[in-house]
Amino acid sequence: MTEIAGKLFTWINTRLPIVNTFERHLSKHPVPSKVNFWYLFGALAAVTLIIQIVTGIWLIMPYSNTEEQAFSSIEYIMRDVDYGWIIRYMHTTGASLFFAVVYLHMFRGLLYGSYQKPKELVWIFGCTIYLAMMAEGFLGYVLPYGQMSYWGAQVIISLFGAIPYIGESLELWVRGDYYISGITVSRFFALHVVALPLVLIALVFLHLVALHEVGAGNPEGVDIEEHLDEDGVPLDSVPFFPYKVLNALVAIGVFMTVFSIIMFFFPEGGGYFIEMANFQEANPLVTPDHIAPVWYYAPFYTMLRAIPDPLGGLIVMASAVAIFFIVPWLDRSKVASIRYKGIYSKIAITMFGVSFLTLGYLGTVGVTEVRKTMSVICTIIYFAYFLLMPIYTKYEITKEVPERL
Amino acid sequence: MISLPRYFQSITKSIALFILLVSFNKLFAAEGGPCKDYGECDKFQYSLNDIESLQRGASTYINYCYGCHSLKYSRWGRVAKDLQIPEDIFFENLVFDKSIKPGDLMIGAMPEDSANWFGVEPPDLTLVSRYKGDDWIYSYLRAYYEDSSKQYGVNNLVYPGTAMPNVLISLQGNQRLVCKDVPVLARNGGEKRDDFGNTIFKEKCGFLEVQDGTGILSREEFDTLIYDLTNFLVYVGEPSKATRERIGWYVVFYFLIFTALSSLLYREYHKDYNK
Repeated sequence: MTEIAGKLFTWINTRLPIVNTFERHLSKHPVPSKVNFWYLFGALAAVTLIIQIVTGIWLIMPYSNTEEQAFSSIEYIMRDVDYGWIIRYMHTTGASLFFAVVYLHMFRGLLYGSYQKPKELVWIFGCTIYLAMMAEGFLGYVLPYGQMSYWGAQVIISLFGAIPYIGESLELWVRGDYYISGITVSRFFALHVVALPLVLIALVFLHLVALHEVGAGNPEGVDIEEHLDEDGVPLDSVPFFPYKVLNALVAIGVFMTVFSIIMFFFPEGGGYFIEMANFQEANPLVTPDHIAPVWYYAPFYTMLRAIPDPLGGLIVMASAVAIFFIVPWLDRSKVASIRYKGIYSKIAITMFGVSFLTLGYLGTVGVTEVRKTMSVICTIIYFAYFLLMPIYTKYEITKEVPERL
Repeated sequence: MISLPRYFQSITKSIALFILLVSFNKLFAAEGGPCKDYGECDKFQYSLNDIESLQRGASTYINYCYGCHSLKYSRWGRVAKDLQIPEDIFFENLVFDKSIKPGDLMIGAMPEDSANWFGVEPPDLTLVSRYKGDDWIYSYLRAYYEDSSKQYGVNNLVYPGTAMPNVLISLQGNQRLVCKDVPVLARNGGEKRDDFGNTIFKEKCGFLEVQDGTGILSREEFDTLIYDLTNFLVYVGEPSKATRERIGWYVVFYFLIFTALSSLLYREYHKDYNK
């Protein structure tokens, strides 16, 4: 029996590079031996992506993408489909936590210079994933066709209208109708379940291929390729499998504990994960008192609101995301990690973090005069972090980076 | 091993700063609460395992509310099953239309042409506990008061100008807005006293008071009735809620064991390269 299995395996392996791939990307793929918890969010993002895809497939089965039935099909899933509520809550909790881990993953990148040469492409693919996720999240939020789905879509689609000359026709083209309707829902459904997931999977693949080509970083910013053993394996590395896989497994355990606490005990996330108004069916005649985006768009929504002119707001909001793409060329520092960077970098990234969180908070509450001023200040800090980066990273005093990990 | 990074300190500081900023922001922006003139909504703590309360709530709903307010995402049979009411008893006592089958949705009893009796169509209430919140319902149903300027002679503190008459008035009795002498509070939060040590009172209005003897139920009995009704609406808003919270413990427990075992395994392998 084992002989037959062995032969079969050889037969396949001579036609498909199983052993080769396993060794190259897992059992012999060297990763830095010393990293900290910040380096685990990538694995968690992968886990969440898988959760989203699997639960998504099951949600498609009973969901109905028509204007009349979209909302009630969600209630059908929540009530009549066996364990439908578990699948739906996994998907809604997963969406929020996907953004949470990706934000932490991106912040790790900024902290430890994970975009520096030669990792520029890894970073750019990552930024593109984030962009695709934002679109995916927005499209998905429209599908339950509740009040917030409708009015959120109204706000976002009208942004296209702010573009000069082509705005109005573009808006119409995106919406597919003169107002948001079943046509909009069904095209968003197609994009949400087919087009963007394909794009996301392709981008994640590229992100990983590029990462495995240049090698993973570490919090010290040490280049482990500098010191190799006689086989050409970095001395400060361990094989990805089983060492890093086990490390990730612990992280997955902690993450899934948090995940299940949220999904079983606080699935609405206090109105931040599923907004209360979205339990009311979309009604074009009644505007909700307070239109707020889900928390993960809130920082950018605040920027949009901080600028009185719609086109200006759109430009600022788009630049806030776009600016991430050029970070590899903004950082002029000799060192990668925040541990060895100077005091200016430390102040800058702290202020950036605080302003981002404050912008996020401001996006979920109503507007007052004080809040408006604060959102302008925070928007300025946000951009200053990036735009002043070439200056403060170049002229600050950095510490000596050690030779080895 | 996962080590706390040196940067951890700065992170803690930024979080502290963020909390400071948020509280600063709160200070400058008092928003009207969801319960409007009522002030803070009364806190409601659901108890979905109290089947008797849910049964009483269902009976109140069907007798007093279902005439106008459908529960169109919920099915009759499911309610009977979840509330542990034998189907024959349920259908004999609570379902008035004998053509209804257990699998039917609770689509309401309002004739279509009467939808505009109250100026607005009475909303479906299946999900009211989810978009308004249970605190809101519990406060709203107890905040009606006499107001002769309104069409039905009543108004509501939680929802001023509500289109719904006080359907439960025969049970609750006439509730009025009254004024009372209340102690003036000093800056330190205690009662303010004059030079002779007597508490200073000031007339304040807007208190709800039921006229004695006008309702069938006492105040406590009426509050219990509304409690049960709200509890039922919480149930019907998410019928799997009790199950969700029950199996949630097992899932969390499973992942805690999973984390413990995987970290033991990780530590064992970690010895290979970090002695």
